[in-house]
Order: sequence, then C-alpha cells, then structure tokens
Amino acid sequence: MTHRRSRALSKRRGTPSRSNPLPGEEQGRRPDEKRANRVPAESQGPSLYCRKQGRQRVLSVWAGPGSGTTCWEEIAVFDKVDRLREECRKALEEATDSQTLNEVRVRYLGKKGELTQILRSLGSLPKEERPSVGQAVNALREEMEERFARRQEEILHRERESREEEDWIDVTLPPRTRGWGAFHPVAQVTQEVIDIFVGLGFSVATGPELEDDFHNFEALNIPPHHPARDMQDTFYMEDGRVLRTQTSPVQIRSMQQYGAPLRIICPGKVFRRDSDPTHSPMFHQLEGLLVDRDVSVADLKGCLDAFAQEIFDRPLDVRYRSSYFPFTEPSLEMDVSCVACEGRDPQCRICKGSGWLEISGLGMVHPNVLRSGGIDPDEFNGFAWGMGLDRIAMLKYGLKDLRILFEGDASYLTHGRVY
Amino acid sequence: MLVSLQWLKELVHIPAATEELTEKLTDSGSEIEGVERPGEHLSDIVIGEIKAIDSHASRDALKVADVDCGGEGVFRCVTGAPNAAVGQRVPFALPGGRLADGTVIGEREFDGVLSSGMALSAGELGIPEAETEFGLLELPDNAPVGKDCISWLNLDDTVLDVAITPNRGDLLSMQGMAREVAGIIPGAELREQPLPGLGDEEWPVSFDGLVIEDSGCLLYTLGLAEGITIAPSPLPQRIRLARSGIRPINNVVDVTNLVMLHWGQPLHAFDLDRLPAGDIGVRSAAEGERLVTLDGKERLLEEGDLCITSGGTSIGLAGVMGGEDTEVTGETKRIALESAVFAYDKVGRTSRRLGLGSEAAFRFARGVARTKTMPALAQALQLFREQAGARTDYRPLVSGEPAEPERTVSLRRSVLQRMLMQDDLERAAAILSGLGFAETGRSDEKRTFTVPAARLDVHIEEDLVEEVARVEGYDKVPSRIPPQLYRPGTTGDMVSVTRRLRETCMGRGYLEIVTYSFVAPQDVEALGFPDDDVRGRPLPVANPISQDQSVMRTQLLPGLLKALSRNLRSGIRGPLRLFETGNVFHRTGNGHCEPVRIGGILSPGRAQLALYGQEDFLSVKGDVLSLFEAVGLRPRFEQAREPFGHAGQTAHIYIGDRLIGYLATVKSAPADRMGINRPVYAFELDLEHLAGRSEVHFGSDLRYPPVYRDIAIMVPRKAGARELAEMIAELAGEWAGHIQLFDTYEGAGIPEGAKSLAFSIAYRHPERTLNDEEVEVVHQHVREELAQRGYQLR
Repeated sequence: MTHRRSRALSKRRGTPSRSNPLPGEEQGRRPDEKRANRVPAESQGPSLYCRKQGRQRVLSVWAGPGSGTTCWEEIAVFDKVDRLREECRKALEEATDSQTLNEVRVRYLGKKGELTQILRSLGSLPKEERPSVGQAVNALREEMEERFARRQEEILHRERESREEEDWIDVTLPPRTRGWGAFHPVAQVTQEVIDIFVGLGFSVATGPELEDDFHNFEALNIPPHHPARDMQDTFYMEDGRVLRTQTSPVQIRSMQQYGAPLRIICPGKVFRRDSDPTHSPMFHQLEGLLVDRDVSVADLKGCLDAFAQEIFDRPLDVRYRSSYFPFTEPSLEMDVSCVACEGRDPQCRICKGSGWLEISGLGMVHPNVLRSGGIDPDEFNGFAWGMGLDRIAMLKYGLKDLRILFEGDASYLTHGRVY
Repeated sequence: MLVSLQWLKELVHIPAATEELTEKLTDSGSEIEGVERPGEHLSDIVIGEIKAIDSHASRDALKVADVDCGGEGVFRCVTGAPNAAVGQRVPFALPGGRLADGTVIGEREFDGVLSSGMALSAGELGIPEAETEFGLLELPDNAPVGKDCISWLNLDDTVLDVAITPNRGDLLSMQGMAREVAGIIPGAELREQPLPGLGDEEWPVSFDGLVIEDSGCLLYTLGLAEGITIAPSPLPQRIRLARSGIRPINNVVDVTNLVMLHWGQPLHAFDLDRLPAGDIGVRSAAEGERLVTLDGKERLLEEGDLCITSGGTSIGLAGVMGGEDTEVTGETKRIALESAVFAYDKVGRTSRRLGLGSEAAFRFARGVARTKTMPALAQALQLFREQAGARTDYRPLVSGEPAEPERTVSLRRSVLQRMLMQDDLERAAAILSGLGFAETGRSDEKRTFTVPAARLDVHIEEDLVEEVARVEGYDKVPSRIPPQLYRPGTTGDMVSVTRRLRETCMGRGYLEIVTYSFVAPQDVEALGFPDDDVRGRPLPVANPISQDQSVMRTQLLPGLLKALSRNLRSGIRGPLRLFETGNVFHRTGNGHCEPVRIGGILSPGRAQLALYGQEDFLSVKGDVLSLFEAVGLRPRFEQAREPFGHAGQTAHIYIGDRLIGYLATVKSAPADRMGINRPVYAFELDLEHLAGRSEVHFGSDLRYPPVYRDIAIMVPRKAGARELAEMIAELAGEWAGHIQLFDTYEGAGIPEGAKSLAFSIAYRHPERTLNDEEVEVVHQHVREELAQRGYQLR
C-alpha cells in the first residue's frame, strides 16, 4: 500500500519519470545525481549538456576542448544508456507477475540482452574513451540488477499475499478433530485428592467393592446388630456378602497383607441403601491409614490440615470436633470453613448458616481394629480418616444433586457443549 | 434428641450463654443440628379470667366475653370458641400482642361489637400438641390472673436438636445430658434431685410373678398402680412433651414418656386387667409367632426376638413395642408398669428386621444402664400418684441385679503424651472427675478411675484419652506432618494406568461418566450371552432399591448403553463419545472376582450434522489403539464374535496370547431396545493387563534412513491385512522395518470377491545406509515369493 500512495504523490509533483519509486527508495535522491555531483554543473559549457525528457545530463567529464568528434560518439553511447535505463525502468514498472519480470530480465540483462550488446559495442569506441563508457554501462547494469531484484521481491510478495487471501479460512469454524472430552467431577477430585496424599507420602491401596461382613463390619469393631450399623444401610448379596458401605475394609486387608508400619490411602466406590438429592446409593470415599510407633492426634491433624490447604482453590480454616466411629478411639470429625460463604451468610444454602462444612471423619485406630489386621496394638498405633469424594466434588464444583452425577448426562458433564 | 433448655436448667446450673453451650456440645461430640425458639414471636400474652359471657347480638356463632387481666385491665373480646365459660382462666393476647405465627392482635369490630385483644387456643400459642379440647386453652385454676402467660407456661423455651452418637445411649436422657453439661461447661453444677422411694406393701391382687426365661433380659422390674383415673396430663407436662417431640396422650402414657425422657429408661404400662394371666414373662419368640403391636400392625416373629408374655401368650415385643391387647385405654384402672433392660443386640436386631423404630428400641439399642431402672420406676409411680390419683405403695417385682458391673480403667501419662502430645495428668484427672469418673488410684505415671455406670461406652484407656480430648478441645492438640511420612508414596500401577487412560480418552474427545455398579437384569439379558458365559449370570443384590439396580454389572457395556440412550432421548443429535472406568463383577467357583475395566461407547451424530465426515469402526479402533499407545503396549486385533457384536465387525483384542478386551459395532437388537437408532461402537479393556507392562524400549537407535518400496497384492475380500503384512515381513527378512498398509481397493479392475491391498515396506539396516540395488534384490525376492504362494501382485 505504501508504495502505491507514494506513486500518487510523485505524480502530483509532476515527475512522471519517477512515477513508480520502489519500496525503500528515498524520494528525491536518484542514483544519477551522484554522478552529476562529481563536477559542479555550473563549471560546464552549454555544449556539454544534453537535455532529455527535461533532465540535465553531465557528459563532459572526460571531454576536454578539442576532442570534438570523439565527444559526439561518446554522447551517442551515453544517450543509448540513458534510453535503455528509461526503457528498462518502464518495463519493470509494467511487469506485474514473475513471468513477465523474467522476460524483461532476459531482454535487458540476459546473455543476449541489450546491455550486453552495448558492452560488446564498446570496441568501436576510441581506446581512451572505453573505460568511461564501460563504467557508465556497468553502473547501469548494477543499478538495473538491483532494481530487478527489488521488483522481483515485490512481485513475489504480492503474489504470496494474494494467494493467502484466496486461502482464507473461517477461523471460527469448529475444529475438524474432536476437542478435549470432559472429566467426571468425582473422578477428577479423586485424582486430585490422591495426588495430595501421595505427595505427603501415602501409597494407594485398593480392595474389592463386594465385601464380606467380616472386613466391612466385624473387623472394624462393628459386631452384628450394633447400632452403628444403623448409620449405614447396607446392600446385601444373596450369600450374605455386602456391597462395602465404606472403604475401611481396605484398611483391614492392607494391614493383613503388609503389616506395620503402613501408610496408605484407599479411594473407591461405596454403597448405601439411600437415595435422595444428597444421598446416592453409590458414592465415593477415600480412606487413609497410618500405622506406626508413637502416632498422635497431632500427626492426623497435620495431614488433614495440609489437605485442607490444597484441595479447594484457597486454604480453608479447619476445626475438629469429637465424634464417634466404632473403628477409631478417639474419634473426630473435621469441618472446613464454608467454601461458599466463609461463615458470613446466615442464610447460606451450602453450610446452612453454620459457617462450617463437615468434610471428614477421623480418629486413632481402635486397638480392636489393629488386632483384626494382625497388628499388635501394644507396639503400634495409628490414625485413620475417611472422606466423601462426592461431597468434596459437590463443594468444589457447586453441584446440587448428587444423583445426576451417575446418570452419564452429557449435557451436564460438558456444561451444555453438546448438539 | 430434642432438649428443652428450661428442663435442662432444672437439672443443672449452666453458667454459660446458649451459644457457648451449643458450641461446647458440638465440639465435645454431641452435634447441635438446630436451635429452635418455638415461642420467639409471642409477646404481650397474659393470663385472663373470663368474667362474663354474652351472646353476640347479630352473630349466633360468636360470644362476647369480658376478660379480667388483673393489672392490665378488663377487656371485652369476641370469641367463637365453644368451650368459653365464665370463671375459666385462659391465655389472653392484649391489644398489640403477638401470636406464635407472628400475627399481631389489635382491636377489631365484629358487627357492632368492638373486640379488644383475643382469648387464645393452644395452636395460637404454638403448642397445638398440648390441646385437649377444641377451643380456648384452659389454664389451671391456680394460674395467676394478670401475670405473663408466656413465662408462666415456659413458652419462651429454647429447644436444642442434639445429634447423639450411637455410643452415647446415656445422653438420650435429660439426666444424662445434665451430667454431660456439668462435665463440659466450666462451673456448671448438677442440681440435687430428690429420689422418690418405693413402696413395700404386698400386691393386693393375686399375681404369680415374673418368669424370665431369656438371658437377653438383663433386668426386669414390675410396679403396680391401682385406682387410676385416665385423664389428660396437666398442661405443663403436655407442653414439655410437645417440646420434646412426643405427642401427649393421657396421664399414664405421658408419665411413662416423661420418665423415659428424664432417665433414658423406657417404661411400658400394661393394663393389668387385660393381661391373659397373672404373671409376666420374657422369652424368645417361637418361629412364626404373631403379635399385633400398639400401632395396630400384625408382626411375624422369629426365633431370637424377645417377647414379653403373660400366661405364655406374647403381649409385647421386649424393648420395641407393646401389644395392642394389653394397651392402656380410657377405662384402665390398674397398671402393671414395666421398667426393664434388654440386651442391645436383641432389641436392635428385632427393631431393624421389622423396620419398627420406637423411642424405646432406639434407647435399648444404644444401651440403657441398669442403674436407671429402679429410680425410673419409682418416679413414674410417684407421678401416677400425683397425676392420676393412683395407689402405688406396693413392692415392685424385680428379676435381676439393678446395677452395672464395676469397670475401672487407667490412664497413663505416657499414653496421654503419645496421643495428644500433652502430659498434664492432673488436668486430665480433673476433666474425668467432672464427667463423673471416680479416681480410685493414683501414681505419678498413672491414674485409675471407676467408670460411671451410665457410661457403657467406656472400656479402655483410649476411651479416657477421648474424654480428656473432647472436653479440652481438639484445637489444643498441636498439628504436625507425621515424622512417620519419611518416604515418598506410590500411586501404584492401577491408579497410574487409569489416569493415563482417562486422560487419553478425554484427549480423544470422550466424556468421562460414572454409572451405578448395579444395573437392570434385563439390560444384561439383552446382550444375549449364552448360558455358559459368566457375563450373562450377574450376581443379584438381595435388597435392591429398585429392580433397575438389582444385579451387579458384569460388563461396563449395559451402563454405557443406558447412558448413551438417555442422552439420545434428551435430543442430542451430534456424535456422543462416553467412557467409564470401574469394576465389574464376575462369579467364580467359590465367590467372585472384580476385574477393573475401561470401556467406551461412541455413536456418530446424524449424517447431515457431520461437518467433517462420520466416525466408524476404524476411527474407534484408532481411539482404542491410542489407549494402548498411552500405556506403551502393542495389541493385536482378531476377527471375532460376541453375542452383542455385529457378526462382521467385532474384534477381540490381545496382548500376546491374552484376550484382554473387545471392540465391536453393537448389534442393533440391544441398541434398538434402548431406543438407539444409530450405529453404536463399543470397546472394553481389562486394566489389569495394561498396568505396568509397557513394552516401549528405546534400545536400538534407528540411525540410518530406510529405503521404501511399495507392493500391491490382490487377496480374497475377507483376508486379514495384518496376516499379509506379517507374511511380507517374514519374507523381507532381517531388513524389514515397519510395514504400513496404505491403500485397500475393491471395484473396477479387481475381480468380484477380491480386494487389492497396497503396503509400504521400510527396509533398513542398523549399521549402514542400504543402497537401491541391494534393496531391490530383497524386494524382488518378496515379490517372487508372494507370487509363488499364489498371490497376484499388481
């Protein structure tokens, strides 16, 4: 665009021969002016001037008084050079594609081109005048080659530009390959919680979802008909086995398999016979267990405090309350400050105005549980905790109904990005 | 449990605001789930006496009453209450006074009569349960006229909804609650409660006594009350019951409930004259025995259920619910009052099996201390005397020891230090003593305590640690990262591989779903497994929530299909790609196994909505292959059959010789059934065989460039491409590198029933660049060999 506008400008200035200045060429400075400056114009006689197309031409550098004839032959060659320059410039201007440009190059600069022919004709000049004319012709060749190069660059540039215009793509089109799918909030939270505790030094252990009564209840200090069983309405199989109501049976299996010391987390599905907006018959828990020598409640708090710093998008306040679980003694519950209102909204839907959200049940492993796992409670003790991953996901992603999580609803899982 | 603060404060002095009390209760293990002030809106209600009643001049249904409100003056008001009578004392809302629902009472004109204020019913005071007859709430004659009725009736009470953990049966009583508050609130003190005595007279009726035949009955006492007049309970008792969440019935039933609320000891009153015989027994039920309980339902009993009997006939379910036949009625004159303790597991079992919850069963299942039995009996008999005019001076019948075995537990300084990181044994002892533990031995290292009889939950040293910690507050315990966490944790192969696979699936545009592990049996059946296929015989759940969730899934496919169908039904027209990871459940010889699977399902969108072309079996195969790439494995796909798979578009997937999954175009039958009318592609892989088995090695560096040659072969239409590639590799020998099929062609120039396969063969040498001539020799050999084997080269 720039060079087009400058062409218009130079036309207005009434310099038609410079009607097509090339990019980068400075207005008002011409290659021929350099030579003109070698000898001040006013020191030359009028016969030494040649006017052509309104421009002054200095030819008398080498022509002293008394070399009349030679001088006129010389002038004829210079005229030819000037003519060629003008022709060539014009041809360059008119060439607008690579092919034409190449033809022009061949015509003027080629092996049989016009410039070459002038050089060949130098032989007919007097010996002492050959160098000056040769220089002038070579200067023209250099100038022309430079101009060709620039013109070629310009044409290629234009051609690339116009090709790209034609290859226009609507960048707002949907992509051809499929985009990223979507994660399930609970599976994602599970992964994040695992990462936090593996980072602390716990290893992942897993166990069956279809359990026997021993591992799910009795080994966890929950004898038959214990009221704690009321806390967990259980799915039974025909042979009396149960769908595990908690991930705690993995504690027992891990203790039996690995003994002490032990540092594990057990993520997984659990099942309770319950179904309403905040209870699904299947949900997810993560159980943690550390068994070693001289374990304290302080150690347990430390682990869960670290968790509360990491799991939500900002560190949360934590409080611990006394509670009851048959498999821990003492037993506690952990609350975190409400992720929605941080305790500021007495009408908060999430924390019901209490400012706190129950997030985990925890405690020091009951000696009976250690015994069930084949570990001597006089030598080792430990702590354990359990947390509902669905609940964490609900809090983290603001989900209202737990059951919709397990219906595989694509609209829901992609925030409506389906069609 | 609903705890009336008014009542609690009669039992214990609480030098703390309600807020501090609720916080302390919550922190110490009894979570406050709600704080209700049912009378918070009430104001300006006094006790009035109706001095005169006139009929309304123009409105028959209305009366005009003059109500004397003592110092407040006499108000004329209009009332429609049928029971309004001269001399009656009633609650009266002064003009400007407010009712329980917030309504403000002013002055109002009823057809020319100006009514100022209003005489009130129980409902208007917010205690509809306390109403005994329709109309005005009748106050007793001793109600002080002109006094504030709200405080006189304790209507400004605060009620705490306390969640009691299953180990703390002792807190299911006001008396236990008071004991607890005395222990956890600094400066709180129990108030002395006079214990009524029991009579010593012989029963004036012929009664043979108690026949306790089952060890599940730990203690049985039976008191006698004669000359009862059944009537409504006095108003304060009715209000108290209502505030505690129990509906007032009559003076006998109400007493048993009030005493239960006070002591935590369930009581049961039998109409003595309705007993089938002159004795009471406890025995295990006979299988198939039937009993109609108080709620009018017939219950089928099993052996192991504890029955209360009379003359051998069961008259009640011990600790759960009494029988209808011996229930107290309006005509009851004599009562046999049971105060007994039954084993928690017996009561819990029966109550759970029958789905029959009662205040009594709830308490027994959580443990009732035998020390409460006699005091509760004595208090109930006293109240029968006071409120029902009964004679109760008779010696109760007792079977069993009304005491708990003594328990002593020690607490060591070292254990306190280890668990709570503090060693103030003195302070710990003070806390325990505040909770009623009696110190019986002390040394510098250790204190020994006798456990209060009601604390059936305390047995071991850790229990004492908990008592100390919960009163002290867990915020006093420091927090530290355990020094035991000195080694890095490991995620394990299964979790790592699951993560890689889910991320790969998501990267290929699949949505992760989680579906229920139990599915509908018909959804498994629809897949058409033969009888001997374990996948067609899912494990049933014995007590499913619904038939749709009644068998354990043997594959992920039914859940994926269901989710797909649900989404299509919701109107989605574009492509859907879903995947899930999870356990499936297979029967084995003596139990079951739970393979962990990843499964995916894909359904292309409607053709006219496919902007860039449709997905198909092979594009899904690309997805499956990418999963293997993600875990560094090279699978093998074999043409195969599955009952649910398209006969010509089903592959079994192998790693080595092990079958680890399938990829199939799902047959239209199972899809149709779910209303899916589009192609469906599905795959499932066992994760066990993908975890931790990566075959990726970067051992040999392929430094020298390969030389490529192409070859096109005509083969029968159903020939497998991989087999040919393998044959070519074998023929090309040691220089054969990667062999890639790049074209398949059927049609013009190829005979019917045949196809042309074009392969690109990379020849390469590990140590030098091969030149064209030597490659040509080998390649020519391949061509000739193929030709010799009857393949037509093109």
